[in-house]
Amino acid sequence: MAVKPGNYAILEGIQAEMKTNKDLTIFWQNRPTAVSPMGKVIDLGKEFGNARIPQYTAIDEEWYIGACAGMALTGVPSIAHTPYMCTTRAFDLVFNQIGKLRHMTGGQASMPMVIWQDGAGRQPGMAGQHADAGQESLYAAIPGIKVVIPSNPYDAKGLMIAAIRDPDPVIFWHYGQINAVQTDVPDEAYEVKIGEAKLVQEGTDITIVGYGPAMVEINKAIPGLKAAGINAEIIDPRSLKPLPIEAIAASAKKTGKLLAVDHGHETLCGVTEIIARCAMMGAGNKFHRLAFPDAPPPGNKEMIGWMTPDAPKIVAAAKKMMTA
Amino acid sequence: MASELSSENQTDSPVTAESPAAPRKGLRRRSFMQALGGVAGGVAVMAGATRAKAGNSWDSATDLSDEKLMEMYTKMLKSRWWEEGMKDVFLKGDDKMYGVCHLYIGEEAVAGGCIGALNDDDYIVSHHRGHGHLINKGGDLDKMSAEMFFREGGYNKGFGGSMHITDVSKGILGMNGIVGVSHILGAGAAYGIKVRGGKQVAVSFGGDGSVNNGWFYGALRNAALYKLPFISVIENNGFQVAIPTTETISVRDLSQIGKGLDIPSYTVDGQDIFAVYAVMKRAVDRARNGEGPTLIEAKTHRFYDHAGMARAKIGTLGAFGLPYRSDRDVHAWIANDPLPKFKNALINLGLLDEKKAAALEADVKKQVQASIEFARKSPMPKQEIGLSNVFAQGTVSPSQLHA
Repeated sequence: MAVKPGNYAILEGIQAEMKTNKDLTIFWQNRPTAVSPMGKVIDLGKEFGNARIPQYTAIDEEWYIGACAGMALTGVPSIAHTPYMCTTRAFDLVFNQIGKLRHMTGGQASMPMVIWQDGAGRQPGMAGQHADAGQESLYAAIPGIKVVIPSNPYDAKGLMIAAIRDPDPVIFWHYGQINAVQTDVPDEAYEVKIGEAKLVQEGTDITIVGYGPAMVEINKAIPGLKAAGINAEIIDPRSLKPLPIEAIAASAKKTGKLLAVDHGHETLCGVTEIIARCAMMGAGNKFHRLAFPDAPPPGNKEMIGWMTPDAPKIVAAAKKMMTA
Repeated sequence: MASELSSENQTDSPVTAESPAAPRKGLRRRSFMQALGGVAGGVAVMAGATRAKAGNSWDSATDLSDEKLMEMYTKMLKSRWWEEGMKDVFLKGDDKMYGVCHLYIGEEAVAGGCIGALNDDDYIVSHHRGHGHLINKGGDLDKMSAEMFFREGGYNKGFGGSMHITDVSKGILGMNGIVGVSHILGAGAAYGIKVRGGKQVAVSFGGDGSVNNGWFYGALRNAALYKLPFISVIENNGFQVAIPTTETISVRDLSQIGKGLDIPSYTVDGQDIFAVYAVMKRAVDRARNGEGPTLIEAKTHRFYDHAGMARAKIGTLGAFGLPYRSDRDVHAWIANDPLPKFKNALINLGLLDEKKAAALEADVKKQVQASIEFARKSPMPKQEIGLSNVFAQGTVSPSQLHA
């Protein structure tokens, strides 16, 4: 047990699964390696060889995401690591193949595969294609694929292991912003159950919900909320599909107020579904949503910073909801 | 000299070795050869060198006027020293630079030779390592620098940064951060030319990593089918980020990929601006004549890291000590630097001497510094501007503040 960066924690989980599952294969556009703060090195290529770690995969996401689907049909489980500027490259394969095959084949086809999708998040200076977030909600709209989105290294490792062990396809969102979040990560393999929310902080005044990079900002807002005298209940759904709506709705019912934060774009960002379901369930009577505007992310840091729902904006929104 | 300047093997030879009939060529060619002859010291050697320079036994580099050669050289200088200027600004840190910067240094002869064969109204589509393409197509140093600083006076008004600099008015359809897409956009631009009945050509640049996805094949296949005025230039610098090209694709000469589609396809020495120009000129002539696309692979070298300034030093050319490549290679590449090579050729041709070259370089450096000053003085864009330019009209809602 130690504090480990996100990348290392995830690779540690994959390493454990590769040891027990002799077919598990990973495609990666470079060497899948990571070094722990203690100097421990994970080098999956060295450990498991070239067939299971086809090193030096070309910049051809369609090839290896499609290949993973084909492998899955033959019972070979795999992970397709897809870089952060290509968050929708898998889309057609997921929509027309990966999400449909089990159903279309009357239950014959199994899809034991994970798309490890890196996300850029709202980074300054990258502009447009390399500073995006929120595409998880696009995949959550597709039947037949599970969507998980950790906000810290502990959840990342546990969700990756759960995703690998799941007989169904899972898209696993890994935003760079979660890497530096300080959580203890056990050395051994463990699962974080897909579809189970995490109660980050108990409270009575307002329910605040968000996932991935938005949850990183919500966590940063905790001191500001306290200083404002707001006793917030904070929930991280960790999965968008299946969505752990019961836990969130119970909280919204208790506090009466739901503030949902998303780094995706305003229209149809993932938390919109949470708000809609809570409203339909009669959970809460005041709802608000902070999201990145319906604009691509600009490069200038002041511009993108202003457009991103960050900790100060979350505190301000919560204050407004408490007084309004 | 001949072997040093000789181009890589040509993998497909649908056109004959004779040069196309070019009016006024005789005189120019004679003076070109005489100039070379002074150095080569004999007609036989000289003739061999001329052919080698031109690449693939073509001598079309001889159709370049003295003025054009000097323009190409000045642009290569601008490309080199603007990027060295950016490197220094990043490394010094005073300007608190952020974002990415993919240096093209070492590869300049490719942009120089290719764009030297284009007209002002032709189109280019670039990629993430595209500063050199822009400068050769007439990109304004002030506006480029200001974009690096994400300022209002930048080409993209602070929206885009290095990876997305665009000047549609000059036929620069943009740098682009997504690998491979330049080819399909370039082929689309070529289709647009066909629709409008224009005489322009569209050129896409892509790295060796860009040939490995479907967009590239789609572009080539359809450009061949519709005989589009399209040229795809692959800048093979030997590394897909940090991965050797040899580990990403089974063929050694990437021009081979065009053969199955019956597309004239060439591999050329990308450090030799004359060789690149010669091959490109043929491709451009073909495209303008409605004969369809050409695929060109230029073998070249990137002196710095994939992105950023890792191991780069102020005042030193090239980044040494990077884990994925050997310093011996980097030294060898720098020995084959296209810039002094071009300079020496121009000196041999009598167009330049060391004194003139130094003055030209000093002037270019002054322009680069002026562009950095321009960037520093250019105002910051207003935050709210980020909500504009989503559509032709209006702004989107500031949903980050909705509560």
